[in-house]
Parts: sequence; C-alpha cells; structure tokens
Amino acid sequence: MSVICRKLCSSILSEHFGQIVQRVAEDLFKHDARPLELICCTTHLPLTKIKEALCVLIKHGFVVYGQTERGLEYSLIHQNILLILRYPKYMFFVKTMCGDESEMILEEVLMSGYITASEVITKTYKKIEQSPSGLQPSVPVLKEKFELLVKNQFLTRSLCTDTVEEKTNEKPDFTLPDFNLAAVIKKIEGDNNSDPGDSKIYWKVNFDRLIQDLRDQIIVSAISRRLDENAGELMRQLLFLMYLRTASWAHTSNPIPLTEIKEAVKKINYPLLAHHLDQYLHLIEEDSSQFLKRVGESGGHFCVNMKEAFEQLAWATLENIVTERFGSKAARIFRLVRDKKYIEQEQIQQLAMIPAKEAKHLTYTLLQENYLQIQEIKKSGVSAAPIKTFFLFHIDLNLVVYMEVQHCYQALYNIMQRREYEISSNKRMIDKQLRMQTLTTNLKEHGATEEQLAEIADLMTPSEKQQLEKVQNTIKKLGITELQIDDTLFLLTMYLRYH
Amino acid sequence: METEAGTSKEQNAINTDTNPFEIIEQKILALAQARPKGITDKDLIIEMPELPVKERAQIINKLLSQGHFDLFKQSGSLLYRLKDPSKAKIAKGADNEEKIVYSIIEEAGNKGIWIRDIRFKSNLMPTQLSKILKSLEIKKFIKAVKSVAASKKKVYMLYNLEPDTSVTGGAWYQDQDFEAEFVDVLNQQCYRFLEKKREQMNSCRGGPIMARNVTFASSKEVWKFISDLGISKVKLSVEDLEMILNTLVYDGKVERTLSSDGSILYRAIEPLLDSPGLIKSTCGVCPVRKHCYDIGDVTPTKCQYITEWLE
Ligand code: SF4
Repeated sequence: MSVICRKLCSSILSEHFGQIVQRVAEDLFKHDARPLELICCTTHLPLTKIKEALCVLIKHGFVVYGQTERGLEYSLIHQNILLILRYPKYMFFVKTMCGDESEMILEEVLMSGYITASEVITKTYKKIEQSPSGLQPSVPVLKEKFELLVKNQFLTRSLCTDTVEEKTNEKPDFTLPDFNLAAVIKKIEGDNNSDPGDSKIYWKVNFDRLIQDLRDQIIVSAISRRLDENAGELMRQLLFLMYLRTASWAHTSNPIPLTEIKEAVKKINYPLLAHHLDQYLHLIEEDSSQFLKRVGESGGHFCVNMKEAFEQLAWATLENIVTERFGSKAARIFRLVRDKKYIEQEQIQQLAMIPAKEAKHLTYTLLQENYLQIQEIKKSGVSAAPIKTFFLFHIDLNLVVYMEVQHCYQALYNIMQRREYEISSNKRMIDKQLRMQTLTTNLKEHGATEEQLAEIADLMTPSEKQQLEKVQNTIKKLGITELQIDDTLFLLTMYLRYH
Repeated sequence: METEAGTSKEQNAINTDTNPFEIIEQKILALAQARPKGITDKDLIIEMPELPVKERAQIINKLLSQGHFDLFKQSGSLLYRLKDPSKAKIAKGADNEEKIVYSIIEEAGNKGIWIRDIRFKSNLMPTQLSKILKSLEIKKFIKAVKSVAASKKKVYMLYNLEPDTSVTGGAWYQDQDFEAEFVDVLNQQCYRFLEKKREQMNSCRGGPIMARNVTFASSKEVWKFISDLGISKVKLSVEDLEMILNTLVYDGKVERTLSSDGSILYRAIEPLLDSPGLIKSTCGVCPVRKHCYDIGDVTPTKCQYITEWLE
C-alpha cells in the first residue's frame, strides 16, 4: 500500500471515528497483523480504549482477527475503509431503488456496522419521528422496507460472532428476518422489557452487491451516451440476464439466448427498443466499445464482456485526463500510441500532424509523466553499418491506471485536508450556529413565540451570517468534489479488479 | 546510309536536318524505353521491317558502345535493355569513387540518403566524400533536398527524381515549414462536416441502424466538401484528406470503418464518458501536485488553486 493511500485511510477514520480509532488503525497499518498487547505497547493508549477502537473497527469490517501461534492477532483491510467515501452514493442508489425509508434504514446500518433488524427499525422509526421530512413513521412499513432491502440483497446476515470459533457459514445469507412486530412497537413506546426475539441475528450492508450496482450503472450510462437511451436500457436488461446465469465478477457472462432478451424487453415499456431489438443488439455489438459479443454458430446468443468494457472505460478515462492536463494535442499523441501499440517519434509527428518540435515536446512530457514508456530496440544492419537503434513509444495501461489511482488518493486526501481546515478555522461560528439551532428546536417544542425565536436568530450578526453561509458553501463544494474524485477512483478500481 | 535511300528519304521528309541514322537510333531508343524489360532483334525486325540487318547491327553496336544498352542473353536470343540515361552518362568520365557514391544515392531512390549514411556505406573520408558530392551536384547528377524530418538535415537523391512526400512533407509543408494552422483549420472543418451529418440522425425515422448509417461519410465526400469550401491554396488529394480525418480519429471524435466495398468511412461519435471527476478537482490537473505535502510551501490548506476555485 502506498503512503498516500495510508494517509487517506487514516484521515477518513479520524473524520468518522475520531482520533483513537485512527491511532489504533495507524498502528496496524505500520505493522500488519499484531496482537493487542503489542498495539498497546506502540500506541501508549490505555487498553480499554484500544479495545473499544478495535471493536468499532471490527464492527465495520475494517479489521479482522485470527488465531495464530502468537495468539489472537488483528489486521486491517484498508480497501474497506475507502468504501466509506462511497457511503453517500450507496444511500442515493438505494433511495432511488427502494425509497426514502429504505435509505434511512441503510444509513443506520452503515453507521452501526452490524445491527439487528428490530433495533434498526426502532432507530429509524425514531429518526423519522424527529425529522422534518413529512414521512409518517410506521413499524409495518419499515419492516416491509427492511425486507425489500434484503430481497434486493443490499443487506445480508452478518456472521460476526462473539467468539472466534463460531465462524462457519461463509456464504451470504439472505434469509428474511423473523421477529415480533408487536414487541418492536412496544419497545418504541418505551417498554424496555419487550423482546422482539431477534437478538444476535445481525445484519450488515452487502457492499459487494452495491459495488456491482454502481459498476452496472457506469456500463449502462456509457452505452446511453454512446448510442441512446434505448440502447442503454437494453444494456441494463442484458446485465440482469447476466446475473441469472453468471457468477458475480466473472469476466464475461455466459451466453444469453436471444429469445430471453426478447422476453425481457417485452416486459418493460420501451416500444422503440422492442420494435428494433435486433438492430440495437447489432449496434451495441458492433460498437468499438466491445461491451457485447455475439456467440455461437447460429448467432442467437450474446455475451456481456465486463473485462473488455472496463478496459475501454479505463482508456476513455485516461484519455480524458491527458486531454485536461496536457491539452488536446497531447491526447492525440496518447491515442495514436495506443492505436499503434509501438511507434517511433518520427511517425508520431507525421500521423498526428503536429509540428516536429511540438510533437517531440509533448511526447517527452508524456514520457516524463509516465503516461508513455519508451523501449529501445537494437537492430543490426549490414555488417559494416553500425547497429541501428530504434526508440519505440508505447503505453503500459496497468501502470498508468495504477498511477492515476494514486493520483485519486492524493486528490482526495488533499481536498479532505482542506475541508477539515475550513471547518476547524471556522469552528467557533459553526458551533455557535449549532447551539442556536438546538436552542430554537428546544424552545419551539416548549411553544416559544415568534418573537423569542427571532431574538435568538438575531444573536448572529448579518456579517456572521454571511460568513457562515460562505463556509457552508465551501464545505459543501469540497464534499461534492470528493464524491466526484471517488467516481474516477471507483472506475479505475473496477478496471484493476478485472485485469 | 546512302544504301537506304528509301528510308532516309522518308525520314528526311519529316525532319530534313537530322541524320537519318540518328533518327533510327532515336526510334530504337524510344522502343526500348517503351519496353523496360528489353527488346530483342526479333522485336526490331517486327517494328522496323525495312531496316537491313547490317545497318541494324551497326546501330545497335554504336548504342552499346555509347553505353545506352545493357546486353542480356535470354533463351538463346540477345536482349537489349535501356540503361538509365543519367547512369549512362556517368559511365563516361567518372572515376570509381564517383560511381560508388552515385550508385549508393541511386539505391536510396526518392527518399534520399543522408551524408552520414553515404559515408558509412562507401567508407570514404568525409572531405573526399563532400568533394565527390559537390562534383556530382555540379554535373547535375544528384541534388540535395532539405528533409522535413529534421530541419538541418539534407538528403541526396538523383537529380531527376521527385522527392518522396516523407521528405517534402507533401501538401502540409511550405518550404519545409509545417503548416500547423492549415492542418488545424482542416481538422476543424472536417469535424464540422461530420458533426452536421450526425445531426441528421435525429430526423431519421428508419430505425437505429439506418440512423447510424446516415452519419457515415466517405473520405471522398469529405474531400469534396473541403474542396468546395475553397480554403486550401494547394490542391489536396483524397489521401491528404484521409490524413486529416485520421487526426480526428486520434482526437477521439471520429471513428473509422471500412465499408463492404472497401472505401473508408468516417463518422462523428460520442465519447463513452463525461470528463472524469478527478479532473474536475483542482488537484486533478494541478501542476505542482508533486510538491504538495502536509507541510512546506505547497499544502492543501494554503493552496491558492483551491481558494480561487472556491471563489
Ligand atoms: S492542494 Fe492545491 S497545490 Fe496541492 S495538489 Fe491540490 S491543487 Fe495542487
């Protein structure tokens, strides 16, 4: 793991779980797997604090433990920490798929790591009660929504247990929860003794499912962009059909028969697509993006090629980055080298039709920044002639992708640093506003008059208000940028996963 | 000559001042030129039946001795093949080194050859070589041409050759200068044309494949559009325009396909992705990112790029 990735993970943990968790994680970063006593030794933190921190880390799936001859050892899974960056995206996705209440349930599960069904419903119920969203809290509805999340495999049974030995079933388990609805309602009403009967049956977020959904979204929107909405919808149907017959993360789908595609398209309301299905299949298949392949003798089967798709998408991403960083002429050279695989400088300027000097400059800039590689080839000519040396430019795609992943880490880290700085340097004012908010809500609950409320609002001077607004905008803008950078990171990570 | 009054009279009628012998010579040479593989005595008999054997032999001998012909034997009969006229000339009055240098240059064809390479191949001393080159140049056997590949490099080739486009750069060069602006304008105009074609797609009602097919344009169509625009001072060929269209392919804006009848088709395409999120952030395109750390002169908290972007 690179230094910058470590720093990024560390700062994510500090933001969401505080300093102690961060320090414990840092220690595990540095030393890989190690037992509790050693963590205590290097961090100089009290044992109870470390235990608490480890507990949080384990609950969220950032730390795993295993019995070794040196005792119980803890180790970090840093990829899972990076998933936190994507929480808002998961929530948004679930919201569009299953509605507002489901999003709230998911948020609760994300915040807890793992949790029982009755507990999460209780919590969400209370949250809805307090929120100004206008939603009506209802336990049966929440239960339904919870089940919907499980059916969609967004939630899965957590196999986290209190003791080490109990780890058995590794397969994701989507058996629906069974608990006493009435007991939950009683509990919400304040009866702490009622038992919903699902203690120790924990649920967690099934990230694998959500990652695949975000992945599919990229594919669908790429096809919609390249061709049109109908083609995008067809791609979505193809992905559904892929799930039915293919292991997740397989490079290509098993062949999908045309008849099934026809059936699927009939069921959705896309008349134009249904009418021209053959043509749309042909267009996607013929497109240079190569997402789809026709297979079999009769040509009546299709395969979705995920691996190829993400290679094309990674290229598109890199080409865009090169354009933005070095200009369109540099991107022309980059694409040219991609197309020719190996090419000499002279040919570059000729085919790219860029003046020799400029072409050379751009090529060497790209070389220096590692977007291009150079290979020396010696060719001995006729006996008397000296050995001729050719310098061929080429692109090492994996290397460039890896480099851009690091670039994303750094950009994320930097923007996060800046956001934290903006928050801390305006802390006094942000705190003041928070205090005022609580005060206002409290007073409202106690039936305060308009006048009283206005009085509190006046505690902040106009200039303060203005400043506050500016800070809030800044923080929001930085937050959005982080999500955007993560989009790129996600796409490139998907590429690496397949290659 | 006197013996063949009939022929000479005939020839004289056309061109009275010319020696009739020479006219026959010219005829034979013209015939040999038309048949670069060589001519046989039989060919001569068929082409010039009235020419007596003895005279024919005389003329052929003369031409051979003057170095116009190479003599070959092919399936029992003699074959006269025309030598390169300039080479024929150099055969006279040139020393061996000149001949070697000449043949090296000749071998290079219309792509030419650099002096350094001539030196390696001929093993001559630099001073001697430049003297020879000068002499050949003065005699107009060879010429030096500036190559566009490298501004200060000259290449040598035979005097009568038209330099290859890789040397002159073709339509895109004016006096060895690459006309970048001209290329850019053409690049934009070609794209404009293809984009217009793509727009027609929206009004196409014949199904998605038909809609895509209206976006295709052959290189010839684009060539015609550009020619009609009249923005080019020089006459461009279809191949010239294909070069431009290919730059659009490398710009990622256009796709190239081969049609079933073998012609090359181009069409404007939409990229697969919007610009990636990374480069929407300042750190994605930052020129000093490599120097940006938690402490020091360039840090995220002090960063002016972010400050400006936030404004
Ligand atoms: S924080 Fe500023 S200086 Fe540092 S990489 Fe980002 S844009 Fe560049």
